[in-house]
Amino acid sequence: MTESNHERWSEDVAAYMLGALEPEQAAELERHAEGCERCREQIRWLTPALNALPEGVERLEPPRELRSRVMAEVRADTAAEGVGEGREGADERAANDLDRLRREGVRARDSRPGLAGRASAWMRNLGSGPMGLRPVAGVAVAVLVVAAVAGFAIGGGIGSDEGAQTSTVVAGKAPGVTAKMISEGDSGTLHLANVKQLPSDRVLEAWVQRDGEVEPVQALFVPDREGRASTELPDMDGVEVVMVTTEPEGGSKSPTSDPIVTISIQ
Amino acid sequence: MTVRREKAERLADEELMPLIGAKDPEAFEVFYDRHGGVAYSLAYRIVGEKAAAEDVTQEAFISIWRSGARFDRARGSVRSWTLSIVRNRAIDALRSRAGKAPKLTFDDDAVLEQRPSEEFTDDEAMRRETATELRDALGGLPGEQSKVIELAYFGGFSQSEISRMLGVPLGTVKGRMRLGLEKIRGELAEGLA
Repeated sequence: MTESNHERWSEDVAAYMLGALEPEQAAELERHAEGCERCREQIRWLTPALNALPEGVERLEPPRELRSRVMAEVRADTAAEGVGEGREGADERAANDLDRLRREGVRARDSRPGLAGRASAWMRNLGSGPMGLRPVAGVAVAVLVVAAVAGFAIGGGIGSDEGAQTSTVVAGKAPGVTAKMISEGDSGTLHLANVKQLPSDRVLEAWVQRDGEVEPVQALFVPDREGRASTELPDMDGVEVVMVTTEPEGGSKSPTSDPIVTISIQ
Repeated sequence: MTVRREKAERLADEELMPLIGAKDPEAFEVFYDRHGGVAYSLAYRIVGEKAAAEDVTQEAFISIWRSGARFDRARGSVRSWTLSIVRNRAIDALRSRAGKAPKLTFDDDAVLEQRPSEEFTDDEAMRRETATELRDALGGLPGEQSKVIELAYFGGFSQSEISRMLGVPLGTVKGRMRLGLEKIRGELAEGLA
């Protein structure tokens, strides 16, 4: 294709730049433009107008928690890959981001034991009895966001301004996974992100612990293409710990693998 | 080795990108602070819900971080490249939500009312002024031109879909898009003169 049929394509350039061409049409125009200087010039000329569209949007202040969440994921990645400042330093920065998140979003509670120590404690106690964590204290709406780093526990108490409910993350087993726990009344919803795709014969299964006993929520779920997964927790009364494991298709009566994320409810 | 934040703040966007590609969290933090606000605003403009806008913004920035910031200088500025990523993710989110129509007007009064009364930095204030001028340019378009541009850019509709929605010939939609963008471009050029 050459400049000889420029007029035919020229009328589509604006639609192309606005993303309004079908993919095959867009690909065809791109092939044409490779050999058509006039089309390329038209695109160059109109590019500032296209760039003006998002810049003209009314500005909103993004929530501070959003920044903390983004940076927590970044620090978690850095820690998992062991690059840059070194794994220990990155872990510490990840924890700091989470601390900041808690300060910005909800009132922090008790001091935290060492991260790795808490992780190993959880692994030792997996499905084997009381966790030594405080029970649910209230029913107000609370949101908890955590980043899970392989082999490390990231956590600490957070709670609503009314002090009605707090949660503690004990351990995470999957790199980069983030969890958002929303509790309302006696029920809750757990949202996970950055979950790796599962083999076709595996599912995610949520568990809760009451009085030291681990029990299934009886809701199986899988991540979507974007790595997001959610499940309802219909009965949070007396729950001390929420965790998610991968299980064989159809679920299990008790956890058969290490949790990919674990949240302590205080 | 990571650069100190103070040093990163002195770097241009194009100089930050190689550092981000080398997984420097300090450089990425500066990058987020520069563009996170407009990215979130754009995402909200498209998806119309705060929670969804947060998800889109977070996913877009994390994708840039994890992809090693594959920025191609030849394709424009870092900011426009970043916003194109945010826009694409927001449109994907919009399309994945059945039965929810995008907002189709440049009137953002309702959005403004929800904005926290926090002080903006001088830099942000300057950008807001620029944004106001740009918005005026968009608002100055004839209604039929701004509508097709809005449906395409903020709504994610194809020209064929817009033609059917508005009940006008496809050629008319193409023409309105072209005229609208050219008018905006002309106003920008006048502003620079």
